[in-house]
Amino acid sequence: MTLTVKPKTWPGAIREVTLGAGSRQGLTIGGGKGLPLHTFEAAFPRRPLLALEITDVDPPRWVDTVRAPWDGALGRPDVAAKRAVEEYGADVVMLHLVGTHPDRGDRSPAEAVEATRQVLDAVGVPLIVKGPGGGSRQNDVLVRVAEECRGEGLVLHSAAQEDYKSLAAVTVAYGHVLVAESPIDLNIAKQLNILLSDANVDMDRVLIDPMTGGLGYGLEYSYSVMQRIRLAALGGDRMLNAPVICLVGEEAWKAKEVKVDGTPAAVWGDRARRGVQWEIATALPLLEAGADLLVLRHPEALAEVRRVVDGWFVAGS
Amino acid sequence: MALTGLQIFKLLPNTNCKKCGCPTCLAFAMKLAAGKESLDKCPDASPEAQAALGAASAPPIRAVTIGHGERAITVGEETVFFRHEKTFVHRPGFFRVLDASTPASAIEDRLTDWSAIRIDRAGEVFRVDGIAVVESPGSPEFAPAAAQAAAAHGLPVAILAATTKGAAAAAEPIKDRRPLIVPPAGADPGPFVALAARLGAALVVSGADLDSLAAAAADAARAGVADILLEPPGDDLATLHKHLTLVRRGALERIHPGLAYPVFLRVGAGEFSKAVVGTSTFASIMAVADSGGETWMPLWTLRQNIYTDPQQPLRMDPGIYAIGEPTGASPLLVTTNFSLTYFTVSTELDGVGVACYLAVVDAEGLSVLTAWSAGKFSGDRVGKALRELKAAEHVSHRTIIIPGYVAVISGELEDALGDGWQVLTGPQEASDIGPFFRDVWETARPK
Ligand code: B12
Ligand code: SF4
Repeated sequence: MTLTVKPKTWPGAIREVTLGAGSRQGLTIGGGKGLPLHTFEAAFPRRPLLALEITDVDPPRWVDTVRAPWDGALGRPDVAAKRAVEEYGADVVMLHLVGTHPDRGDRSPAEAVEATRQVLDAVGVPLIVKGPGGGSRQNDVLVRVAEECRGEGLVLHSAAQEDYKSLAAVTVAYGHVLVAESPIDLNIAKQLNILLSDANVDMDRVLIDPMTGGLGYGLEYSYSVMQRIRLAALGGDRMLNAPVICLVGEEAWKAKEVKVDGTPAAVWGDRARRGVQWEIATALPLLEAGADLLVLRHPEALAEVRRVVDGWFVAGS
Repeated sequence: MALTGLQIFKLLPNTNCKKCGCPTCLAFAMKLAAGKESLDKCPDASPEAQAALGAASAPPIRAVTIGHGERAITVGEETVFFRHEKTFVHRPGFFRVLDASTPASAIEDRLTDWSAIRIDRAGEVFRVDGIAVVESPGSPEFAPAAAQAAAAHGLPVAILAATTKGAAAAAEPIKDRRPLIVPPAGADPGPFVALAARLGAALVVSGADLDSLAAAAADAARAGVADILLEPPGDDLATLHKHLTLVRRGALERIHPGLAYPVFLRVGAGEFSKAVVGTSTFASIMAVADSGGETWMPLWTLRQNIYTDPQQPLRMDPGIYAIGEPTGASPLLVTTNFSLTYFTVSTELDGVGVACYLAVVDAEGLSVLTAWSAGKFSGDRVGKALRELKAAEHVSHRTIIIPGYVAVISGELEDALGDGWQVLTGPQEASDIGPFFRDVWETARPK
């Protein structure tokens, strides 16, 4: 007797989106035709990509255990970018412009452009540029970077439902990719993509950031909303079939459990290793839920997730 | 899969005798299909009909219990593939591996330490759920001694066997405590099936593919083993994940009775990613070789995330909670009734060692910022809740500390409270409460 579990087939597929252009070596994500990682029953022409996060200024909030591997490179984006790519094997780099936040350095858009250029000169991989977060400064900074670095296929992080117009415009005008961020909500994710396509942004240039809750701090919400987004996409919803990006490192390293020594020590174990595994245990479930691009912080977490992904997609792209 | 009304109708006598209280057999069948009637109301139903309906209404995955007493663990009975469809039913059990390199003199200490672990996190207690004793032919006394010691601590026991003889020696003395026998990879299942059937123990079966796995389970069931777990094949994560997925899907689709069981997984030293994938993808019992907190803390937390109700965040009862032994002059703080928020803040306050009152207000189980953006933590609402909780009766002063993320509500809250109340904005992160007490509260506090 032979058992057959019917393979699942779907009318829809995830879009392919190419990150990086111009002087960048372009890399494509998406294209999956089945449930995430279900490589045994559906075609996955592209494997998920792994990025490392670097910053324009020394990020004071990073815990010592994740600062360690970046020793000497924090606040030196060119050095950090080279290390991320050449030593740690990142496919993509995310430059987080923390220093442009009014409370964390208040650096000008011109300085942001300068930092971005340093990274573009240092490495040839696609670059994600993340602004300081909501508010008008986010737009000032990202719009300037998009203008000055035209044609590089930057991934601009991010536009939100309340404020997407200027970023939509520069994405179209200067050939970039735009991350559409929604707060763990499928309807808002869809609504924002409709707004973006009404603003003439080609859906082949959009990534969804469904917002990551770190392990123990909302991961379950991100996980389930991503599974639902993926089911909708495979069901044929063309406003939800963009590849998904997750900022794993930022959320995982916020957890109290990676910061404290914890008592008794025998029960909490080694703090540095705990942090790395916290990041891995945030990353892998999100891959299973449908992430196509993960942004990590610790190179050891990247190395382990890389080992898993490469093993999974042996014959892949 | 449940039967449809028409399928059930075909199994009924079709005499329309009305003894069940329904005008026709068809009407009765429809009610059965909807789960609104039970078959015993029809006195003439055939044994075949009873069997078919019984099988169709049984849960698609059997319940299996390992251990005995307060710490016994039940797994299985899952009904869905995605957690957003319906809450997963039973959290997986994480068993800690105790191997024969442990000196006899250290077994007791180790078990005492492991069984005492209890970490409270957001409404759940993390514990070691069981002990996986490794049987080693080289030290035949080890497994029986370790298994009995673990059982004496009340902990469920799995025996990672090397030989049938060794497994018998370890399992026999604790057979009343429902041990789980795990044969070595690739072993001839026959003798282990006979052993498990004889002792009434639970058994893990394995197979090189889905077919042989299901067949092995069906064979064991026929031989009289009631409690079975499936160990799906997969040396690499992709293959393992494939089988974990297909076993679950096959069970839910009821394609073979041999798939209707929970899943067992061994996680060797250093195989953290395998444990992560097992936890998120349907493993029911995992024997984890690493014992360090750097592995267990993230695994417990991931399990907590995956197995909570996706519709209902864990909540605390609203109320005024005392931290330490506060007096009328102690600080009074306010937060939401989301368990995770309460837990984060209260453990921080415990750690700081300043006795105080923490008012937990009903914000529908949402975190501070989520609650605020959903309108559940506005100044008005918080003010009203604090009055209902009679906050003023707990302290002699009129100062309330609010979370830093909702600094914007302070004016509205002062207005809502009136009566000379003063709002003090605390830090954004709970971890900064210590310095806040020292630097801000000490100077600002009402003297
Ligand atoms: C998980 C999550 C959800 C879950 C809900 C989880 C829950 N039970 O609350 C879901 C998916 C349902 C959700 C929904 C929404 N969310 Co939401 N969500 C999050 C997320 C990812 C994590 C929240 C969390 O659990 N934090 C952990 C807890 C422990 O944090 P906390 O309660 O703030 O407690 C900390 C501090 O405040 C402090 N603290 C707490 N109490 C006290 C007390 C005192 C005295 C002091 C001093 C300190 C203190 O200590 C804690 C640790 O430091 C955050 C983003 C993020 N990464 O933080 C967004 C976030 C909070 N959500 C947001 C939004 C906008 C929403 C929605 C309105 C979106 C929508 N769909 O329309 C809805 C509203 C819900 C509703 N019912 O309508 C925004 C809020 C924006 C803002 N600045 O106001 C955030 C920040 C995301 C974002 N950047 O856009 N969300
Ligand atoms: S009692 Fe049985 S046979 Fe009689 S009407 Fe009801 S279902 Fe039909």
